[in-house]
Amino acid sequence: MSGDPSGAGPSLRLRLPARAENVAVVRQALNGVAEGLALEAFTLTDIKIAVSEACTNVVLHAYPDREGPLLVDAWADGAEELVVVVRDQGSGFTPAARTESAGLGLGLALIASLSKEVQIGSEPGDGTEVKMRFRLDPDREDLELSPL
Amino acid sequence: MKETGISLERSETGVAVVVLEGDHDLSTAAALRSRLESLIAEGVPVVVDLTPTTFIDSAILDALLGALRRARGQGLGFAALIGEQAAEPAVRRIFELTQLVPLFPVLSSRSEALAAVLAEPEGR
Repeated sequence: MSGDPSGAGPSLRLRLPARAENVAVVRQALNGVAEGLALEAFTLTDIKIAVSEACTNVVLHAYPDREGPLLVDAWADGAEELVVVVRDQGSGFTPAARTESAGLGLGLALIASLSKEVQIGSEPGDGTEVKMRFRLDPDREDLELSPL
Repeated sequence: MKETGISLERSETGVAVVVLEGDHDLSTAAALRSRLESLIAEGVPVVVDLTPTTFIDSAILDALLGALRRARGQGLGFAALIGEQAAEPAVRRIFELTQLVPLFPVLSSRSEALAAVLAEPEGR
């Protein structure tokens, strides 16, 4: 499902230990991608919020009993969209994860609200992948009308 | 990137102002939660000053909402402060998206925020 970031333009591949303090590192890396794409500040803000939530879900839920990686790939898909994939190699979505944290619901709602499209795939024992597409040049009005 | 920190100031009127500098997310949420819990346990009205905050996520919102509920439960004032001219749009944006502005209150000047928390009914 991930797709091949073979297009032109800045792209990103990160592999970090899935720890809370590393989510800020992902946001910093997105600043760099945004500069390369000359994104508007409000576009970057929305991308950072959504991606931060996806990364935080990995930190909280992917590895309940061990350490593991947080994997982030980002690339421009043509001139109009940025694709960001946040993956882990954990145990996949389980019912236990949902009941444990009310916060998980808000994070996913933010991701859905801020991205043009989000696909979530999870195989038991094979990790979870959250693939988000963001418009690079959204109409500002569209953004203001999209609360949760 | 602005340095991340949680600092505490006290107003002349006895309001605790918790200032969040820089980025705040899951990595600082527990520290914020425990700071707010101990202030509320002290019986002090609280203003959370987000004017120097460059980012907050749902974990921080969760901590703020939990503290708001506790404070309300004890009849204590609790408000958030986001500057008019936020250099970083992320804080205002996440409040807008989650529609928390009417819930909180969210003020835009420190003097308004201090007045708001002192105006709330205190004690039982």
